[in-house]
Amino acid sequence: MNPFRVALAVARKDLRSEWRTREVVPALAQFIILALLIGNFGFQVDSRNAASIAPGILWLALVFAGLVAFGRTFAAEREQASLEAMLMTPASPVAIFAGKAVAASLLLIACEAVMLPALSLFFGTPFSADVVAAVLIATVGMAALGCLFAAMVARVRARELLLPLLTLPLWIPFIIAGGQAVQSAMGLPGSYSEAISLLIDFDILFLVLTSLAARFVLDE
Amino acid sequence: MLIAGAAIFFYAPTDYLQGPVQRIFYLHVSSAIAAFGCFAVVLVGGVIYLRNESPAADRFARSGALVGVVFTTVTLVMGMLWAKTVWGAFWVWDARLTSTLVLWIIYAGYLLVRRLADPGRQAARFAAVVGIFGFIDVPVVHFSVTWWTTQHPGPVIINDALPPQMLATFLFTMACTVVLAAVMIAIRYRIETLVDEREQVFEPAKVLVAREPEPVQ
Amino acid sequence: MTYLILAYAFGVAALGGYLFWSLRRLRELERIQGGRS
Repeated sequence: MNPFRVALAVARKDLRSEWRTREVVPALAQFIILALLIGNFGFQVDSRNAASIAPGILWLALVFAGLVAFGRTFAAEREQASLEAMLMTPASPVAIFAGKAVAASLLLIACEAVMLPALSLFFGTPFSADVVAAVLIATVGMAALGCLFAAMVARVRARELLLPLLTLPLWIPFIIAGGQAVQSAMGLPGSYSEAISLLIDFDILFLVLTSLAARFVLDE
Repeated sequence: MLIAGAAIFFYAPTDYLQGPVQRIFYLHVSSAIAAFGCFAVVLVGGVIYLRNESPAADRFARSGALVGVVFTTVTLVMGMLWAKTVWGAFWVWDARLTSTLVLWIIYAGYLLVRRLADPGRQAARFAAVVGIFGFIDVPVVHFSVTWWTTQHPGPVIINDALPPQMLATFLFTMACTVVLAAVMIAIRYRIETLVDEREQVFEPAKVLVAREPEPVQ
Repeated sequence: MTYLILAYAFGVAALGGYLFWSLRRLRELERIQGGRS
């Protein structure tokens, strides 16, 4: 079976199921707006410090939304034991994994489409293609890692506790580089191109590692 | 023989040049290096386990992780006490301290995954993956002082910037610490072997047993 | 300085303590299981 077709089929299935139920994206989008709001109060944001705090709030909101979005990727499968059914087919586990990761990233990207304009609106920061690019590039790598660990904890007790514990340390490079990228895109000091190339490096590194590891995490 | 290794290790360092607090570095750095070695054991054990599903490899990995976390804790705490004297603060968010803390968190997560997953194959596989990904942080910690500007003192050993007496003392302490780490791993390995036997963790029959239905969430 | 002593005290206590604790646990287990393997 062609791995690309498999991945596409799995992704389409997940996206279609989300479209029918429309649970994740609206709830996450609302969560993100609330996170921005809390950031505003927690950091005592005013017109002077808004620009320097905004990148931090962006990444905080993104990280927590990401944990929720990726954490759910394998939850439904577990309930219906359909993952096991999929694994019994000759389809490669990596393709199945890739399909789920792609679907989850698209859901998160849909939320980012809400978050970035909202951030711009609430904090008065520029809403540029640079900011969008940085966030999108980071999402790729973060999705791969998030889904890998989500698959791992899907069958473990206390999965809500364990997922952040495993995923966040490995997301730190993305937050550091992404934070710098967004900061410089918003006019604060920092090298945008350096940050972006770091993000791309991390993407490549973690995509490769994750695809190698996917086999061991799904194969049960 | 095991006790002898520990006894040699308690031989104190012979001299110092700057303020006495600088002496912390002998054990602090040795512990860090021992910890890296332990995590390398976790990496190798994990890789071998994923290839041949050998329970022995998994046991080595487990032991390495536990001993590694102990040494990392020692490194962090000794470092914090040094920092308070020299910088006036217990903690700063510079690259080396942060990456070492992340290292600690990653392997503490490793130990948690083991405890929370189904014992046996599942725990071993997942932990192996965590251990392999986690090892990425080790070179980061090591090179953090060269890649970024940090408050933490730069590399003096590799750059050969130490006077000979200090170097000799350090090498001796490092050797003893590494031996101690190896001894601890060996002891832990033995403990894990006995525990595995008693709980019969890696019996093949377990894999075929039907899973109980999970409680409704 | 006191921090130096404190630091080494911690290091030695932690490492030594862990070593002794592990040895004790090993002896206990071997006693119970008679070191079969």
